[in-house]
Amino acid sequence: MTNGKLYVILLIAFSGMVFLSLGGGVWGAEQSINHWTGVLFQSVCHQDPTRSLSLFGTPMAVNSRCFGIFAGILAGWLLIPLLSMFKFKNKRALMVLLFAVMLQILDYSGNLLGYWENTNFSRVLLGGFLGVAVSLSLSDFFYNDNQT
Amino acid sequence: MEEEIQTQEDPSYGIGDYMPSAAIVGIIFSLVTFAVGLFFGYQQINAEPTGSFFSPFMISSGVICLISALAGLLAVWHFSKEVSPKIKLGQGAVLGFLTGAIIAILSVAFSELWVLLFDPEYTDKIMSSLIANIEEMELPSAQKNEMIDAMAESVSSEQSVFRQLFMGIPITGLINLITALIGVKIFAEKPEEKF
Repeated sequence: MTNGKLYVILLIAFSGMVFLSLGGGVWGAEQSINHWTGVLFQSVCHQDPTRSLSLFGTPMAVNSRCFGIFAGILAGWLLIPLLSMFKFKNKRALMVLLFAVMLQILDYSGNLLGYWENTNFSRVLLGGFLGVAVSLSLSDFFYNDNQT
Repeated sequence: MEEEIQTQEDPSYGIGDYMPSAAIVGIIFSLVTFAVGLFFGYQQINAEPTGSFFSPFMISSGVICLISALAGLLAVWHFSKEVSPKIKLGQGAVLGFLTGAIIAILSVAFSELWVLLFDPEYTDKIMSSLIANIEEMELPSAQKNEMIDAMAESVSSEQSVFRQLFMGIPITGLINLITALIGVKIFAEKPEEKF
């Protein structure tokens, strides 16, 4: 595996990001918005409790789509060593990533314009797809010797 | 001579090399996101409460997040054009994180300056408008009250600027780090194939 040190550092960072995004419920708080975990994410997420998953009765620090993205990034990151063993070549990685981004925009716009109503489950699922696509688009940095 | 070739093939950069790209992209993106936020913010203040989730303020959050996430990618592009096209993955990561940190710091600074110099009532007006919108939502009253309380508390607790600054850096930095890694994949010079 190449760039092993960076892989481990980012694995720790992504694990921390997912854990902290679970919000104040883990720390016994009733809300995440004013909790320090909520403050961490307030610049990147609207944190609407009605569009967030709950843990121990407390809405998470991020909405369901952001949680899906973060969890997807971590899941994809954990897959990289496995892909490395199989010398998996993801030649269309950037196209898949672009498709996943377009899917988010389409889902958001369709919901905004009233064509359909997305749910926490669908947002987590689509966000997760984007997160996995992000990690897998970077996967070949960690096992192809000819990469930087 | 050998050392020079080694340096060209395996470049190492200091913070000073990263700063121009991180600062230029960071300043541009924080100005753009600040302007977008302000535009949607005043739209929110002047909007009638509809009870819809998709208030201008909520739309701005998505748009701002999407825009600011691209900063890491563009910082790598700028670095590859202005400093060197040879950029390693770890170097891209540092550049992306720095860019995110600059955006986090400047965004808070611009917002504070706006409130301080131009519109001291801005935050209160936004909160009043958001609360009025929540009151119109078709939700159980307990849930509505909970949301309103949380919002009111966030205003009254008056988070210190330093808390906002330092708490904003890690996640904004990490997100821009990720897009910077994608930037390395797209813009960095690929090593020649060895046969």
